[in-house]
Amino acid sequence: MSVPSRYRSSNPHLGAYYGIVTATLVSLVIVLAMFEQLGWSQAGLGQTMMLVPLALYLFIAVGARTGQTEDFFASGRRVPPVYNGFMLAAIAVGGVGFLAYTGTAFFLGFDAMAIGLGLTFGMLAAAILFVPYLRKAGSYTLPSFFGHRFRSRLLRAAASIAQLPPLTLLLAAEIKIAALLASLFLPLSFAAAVIVMSALIAAIAILGGMRSITWAGSAEFLVGAVGLAAVVTVVSILLTNLPAPQLTYGELFADLQQAETEAGARPLSPDATAAALPGVQPRPAVKPFLQPFGAQGPVAFVTLFLSLALGTAALPTLLARSGVTATVAEQRRAAAWGVLFVAAFAMTVPAMAAFAKFAIFREIAEAKASALPAWLTALSDMQLARASDGNGDGAIGAAEFLIGRDGIALALPSAAGLPYVLTALMATAALAIALAASASHLFSLAASLAEDLYRTFDRRQALPRIVAAWAAIAATALAAAVFLVIADVDPLKASLMGLAFAASSFFPVLLLAIWWPRCTKWGAMAAMATGFAVIAGDAILGGALGIFGAQLSAPLASLIGVVLALIAGIAASYVQAAPSRAEADYRLAMRNPDGESIYDRAQARAAAAAASSAAARAEQNEATEAIR
Amino acid sequence: MAVERPVSEDPARVRHQIQTLILAVGILSIVLFAVVAAVAALSWFNRFGFLHFPLGFYLLAQGLLVLIVVMAFWFIRIQERIDQARAESEEWIGQ
Repeated sequence: MSVPSRYRSSNPHLGAYYGIVTATLVSLVIVLAMFEQLGWSQAGLGQTMMLVPLALYLFIAVGARTGQTEDFFASGRRVPPVYNGFMLAAIAVGGVGFLAYTGTAFFLGFDAMAIGLGLTFGMLAAAILFVPYLRKAGSYTLPSFFGHRFRSRLLRAAASIAQLPPLTLLLAAEIKIAALLASLFLPLSFAAAVIVMSALIAAIAILGGMRSITWAGSAEFLVGAVGLAAVVTVVSILLTNLPAPQLTYGELFADLQQAETEAGARPLSPDATAAALPGVQPRPAVKPFLQPFGAQGPVAFVTLFLSLALGTAALPTLLARSGVTATVAEQRRAAAWGVLFVAAFAMTVPAMAAFAKFAIFREIAEAKASALPAWLTALSDMQLARASDGNGDGAIGAAEFLIGRDGIALALPSAAGLPYVLTALMATAALAIALAASASHLFSLAASLAEDLYRTFDRRQALPRIVAAWAAIAATALAAAVFLVIADVDPLKASLMGLAFAASSFFPVLLLAIWWPRCTKWGAMAAMATGFAVIAGDAILGGALGIFGAQLSAPLASLIGVVLALIAGIAASYVQAAPSRAEADYRLAMRNPDGESIYDRAQARAAAAAASSAAARAEQNEATEAIR
Repeated sequence: MAVERPVSEDPARVRHQIQTLILAVGILSIVLFAVVAAVAALSWFNRFGFLHFPLGFYLLAQGLLVLIVVMAFWFIRIQERIDQARAESEEWIGQ
């Protein structure tokens, strides 16, 4: 008798496997550091540092390939909590968080803390409000959960359409970061890098779906975490003599403030959130690091925090991973590990930004305009920074030094005087996290297209489930690559808009569906449609078309959308008759933490009914034969 | 395959849901209140120092993140106790 995979335990050798992955990375860094001392070219070092881990991820994905439905869509429901926590953190942070949040912290200093705080609180909110109940429901996608919860194909299809904008924006942002890094360190143009990175994540997703994404993504998380920790710890030792960057960068504040003052940085007055966030183009870092609310006021700070928190809590990609652990309790633990890893990252970012600002401003203050430091020349070659003596005083001031937001993390090792191999390691770490996040967004988007739209509307279901998912993954990756080659996407703004869409469209409906017994199908539909309409209206009318001139910032629009969606959902539910018995039973079963997932139980019942029906037919045939 | 009891409202389940709701609202409210308080009283907090950081900056950059992590693991501990109480109650009723 075959044993359902959900009863199988996880591989006991996982720790050894991922120990080997980590050891491989450490060995690679040590070997390349020796080669650098022996005179190897920077191009060779950078390419080797990028390509070896990429080959490793692909190797793991091939090893995790599968053709079984439960493995493909839910990783066999046997991912240990820590490993699921790795993936949850990688998705929440992403390459955008790695590079763009660090850059934003460099430019805005204190005011950027809303981002890290919002991501971490969002993970906590998801862990408490949604994750355990979605694990009990066991649906493979967020729209299918809505479909099962309210017994509605229409709601399922509407949810699938509503998750297109957020996931497309987040996918585009992550692939853009991955392609940017690949084009800087590999002999590829940006367009070629977009195509290669899209093909790579599509290959990982096609090989084994959620399963290969989980196991390749765990390796990517480890490479990202170890790479980041190694570089920042070495910088911390150099600048503060202590290997604890999160605790020691405060010691530099007095020197940093002095360097900022000497370079001409002056306190700023607050601006609207959208304008305050730095863009992709190089710009001067003129706001003092410690000045509170210089770029955005306290209200805008809290608005950004709440929007990111609600968007992270309701992000379909994160919630789709609720079904991959063995039990509800394990899923809660996975979410808590995710909170821990995201918080650790969010604590490290201000340290990176402060170290980078101190190292850069110190070097700039000492350098003459006619003899710029080598690292600045290298960054200028990569078009990540520019410095010019605009006022002709022979020195470079804060306003005369322009640096790209997404290049700050890469500039840190070289500005601190570290070997080039650590710059390549930082790039490899960022690329790893971007790949883990982008593959997850791609899979969530494609799985929903295949499961929630194709299977809902094609009653003949000509394509088997996994084949439909393969087609959707390939088509989505191709569409994302074409979009990125054509459009000029700012990863941070795309990501914030994606999270604003997720907050406005899904947070209210999830809250009502899980926590409010009176919520009806049309209440859920009204909540989702209202939230989606508000944020889409802001994005289209104020953003793309510019009708209202001054666009509401996406975070504020998302919070307005959340409030209006809750009101619409409650009002529409009260207008309707009370939920059906089946809906009420589903909700109660979802709130029971024990036992199998509702989806698996239904599948088992359907399989038992089919087997019983087949047995009855066989018995009838035998009887007919006997009569003859 | 384990067969679940028919879904119905009973005191143990109602108690479980109320305790779960109180825990969820309590934890999220504590963290939200802490964030808003730290932002609102930032200038006052910044008059004090902690580990070479201005305290207000430290709270928003690290202190509140530590609070969130502690709350996440504390939530698991309490929620598992609540779930255990419900399971034991249902076993007792089932006998």
